[in-house]
Amino acid sequence: MSKKTLKFYIALWGAKAGSIILKLLGRNATYFPGKFALSICPNFIEMIGKSKTIIGVTGTNGKTTVCNMIEDTLRENNYKFIDNKYGSNIDSGIATTLISGVNLTGKAKKDIAVLEIDERSVSKVFPYLTPTYLICTNLFRDSLMRNAHTEFIAGVLTKYIPKQTKLIVNADDLICSNIAPDNEKIYFSIDKLETDTEKCNNIVRDIIVCPKCNTKLEYEYYRYHHIGKAHCPNCDFGTPKADYIANKIDIDKKKMTILQKDETQEEYDIPNTNIINMYNMLAVIVLLKQIGLTQEQINNGLKKLKIVETRYSEEEYEGIKIVTHLAKGMNPIACSRAFEYAKTTDGNKIAIVLVDDLHEDAKGTENIAWQYDTDFEFLNDDTIKQVIIAGPRYLDTIVRIRMAGVPEEKIAYEKNEVEATAKANLEGIDKVVILHDLYSIEETERIKNKLKEMIKEKETK
Amino acid sequence: MHKCIPDAEIIETEINQKPAFVEQKIDLIYLGPSSERGQEIIIQKLKPYKEKIEELIENGTTFLFTGNAIEVLGDSIKNEDGSQIEGLEIFHIRAKRNMMNRRNSNIIGKYEDIEIVGFKSQFTQAYGDVEENSLMELELGMGMNENTNKEGIKKNHFIATYVIGPILILNPLFTKKLMQMMGIENPTLALEKEVMTAYEARLKEFHKKFKPESK
Repeated sequence: MSKKTLKFYIALWGAKAGSIILKLLGRNATYFPGKFALSICPNFIEMIGKSKTIIGVTGTNGKTTVCNMIEDTLRENNYKFIDNKYGSNIDSGIATTLISGVNLTGKAKKDIAVLEIDERSVSKVFPYLTPTYLICTNLFRDSLMRNAHTEFIAGVLTKYIPKQTKLIVNADDLICSNIAPDNEKIYFSIDKLETDTEKCNNIVRDIIVCPKCNTKLEYEYYRYHHIGKAHCPNCDFGTPKADYIANKIDIDKKKMTILQKDETQEEYDIPNTNIINMYNMLAVIVLLKQIGLTQEQINNGLKKLKIVETRYSEEEYEGIKIVTHLAKGMNPIACSRAFEYAKTTDGNKIAIVLVDDLHEDAKGTENIAWQYDTDFEFLNDDTIKQVIIAGPRYLDTIVRIRMAGVPEEKIAYEKNEVEATAKANLEGIDKVVILHDLYSIEETERIKNKLKEMIKEKETK
Repeated sequence: MHKCIPDAEIIETEINQKPAFVEQKIDLIYLGPSSERGQEIIIQKLKPYKEKIEELIENGTTFLFTGNAIEVLGDSIKNEDGSQIEGLEIFHIRAKRNMMNRRNSNIIGKYEDIEIVGFKSQFTQAYGDVEENSLMELELGMGMNENTNKEGIKKNHFIATYVIGPILILNPLFTKKLMQMMGIENPTLALEKEVMTAYEARLKEFHKKFKPESK
């Protein structure tokens, strides 16, 4: 840590005063205090006092969920920590969190910091902050406009991750597992599953050829997109041997057994059996073991975990299940996972698709290239009786869904989400799955209310 | 394109394979955008076929290069550290990378009598002979670099543009022109009604949102 300067103290005290004013005004200090501090003192993050153990979480998908799980389990076990749960995950949000965790002299008040760090922003954070542990959940293509492609993001991470940081990475992800090759790493993996396939069922695979010799990779099995087990037939590149392997997963009992490097096994509860969340939980377990929590302490926390409602919720109303599932706009992998859920979840279903990034739209973004990287083909399934499309770019989504092979007669649409929902044919339907964007929470609520009104009406007829 | 021409044979060339156009007559040669490392590999792989590509361009074979693919055929690609990669030197453009400054824009351009709409998302800008043989003049958005509204390259039936996919789905009239270049006399599009409706709506919206002074 470099010596604190007068500029630092002006930035710190100004930011703390700003935080108090924002609180008095009833507003969340998510990034403004940090932004202010960084404008006064550009290396503010370097100078400010930091917790002894800094846990960083980055990656394309699952950052927030993993942070929430770590925080809930630490809280359950009476650990004191700071986190950026209510702050942004870029440099200004991280600075805001660090400001909240120090006293007026800039000294850290708590021993642990849990920080979600946007993978594109590490260039502005890691020169000044060295995580003790950094989880990288996975690396997939994300917003084309911001993140370009995975080679770019992996390159940024490799360039900026401090050499002293111990990485916890997904061995089943050949992009993620190969970042920062000189750093000490702990690999986690999920052993072969019955649902794994010989052929890839997704449009997008972000790694196809060996990055060392350009030979086409050979997959032993695919799980989803480029996740699976692969090797290069021409050189030594391939899926690394994992230190922690989830080798027995009992979906019915919601249990997972983890084989550790020392050959011992431990059993954990898995409240959510979605494959993405199993990876998330595995990362959390590995991390918590590094900082000294026992199996019992970790499991006590895991048992009580719930996925945040804005990401997934289900409710039964008059015999019809209404499920909301986040399908993060502009993120083809997250949307494809959500669409696959709509296909595989049981019953006869209606899928309501509201995947426009409305928030981005408000800023004038029109790019729909990501829709053609997304597996809308999952919605072309016999159990999905109707696909309802809504949102400002519904005309583009109609084209994409028709390209995916969904017959015209199965599609209903309107720009307005409530008017589109009114076209739902609930006859013989067990479940309505609302696939919505992160910034469409209010619209999703309106869809749910309209559905309930229609279900009620149907019942009274 | 495959949905528009269901009988078409699609040949996907893997990185270590010889391109099909070397030994067969191909109706459309497509190269899409790639990572920076990918571009460098493609240049190396295509170098032995430089003369063949020039010959095909001259004899009127239809090409479509999208995103940063055109840079492969340019003179050079310059990195921020000053180092540079030599291209195939078929077109005299020089690309310059700025990896921490991604440029995104919506575009409206005029190609012959057609309005083209789409998106650009790139780390590079292209300099050199960017005014010559340009594909279209943009009314909205950045051209080959921030100082020009000229976008893309057209020579005979060779078409290149930084505009990314789904350019063909977004631009049904342009797609028909491309199909005509490929030798299809009366081209029809898959989902023509739906894509035309989306195209007309986007055109109207772009004009309204980004060019309020136009009709």
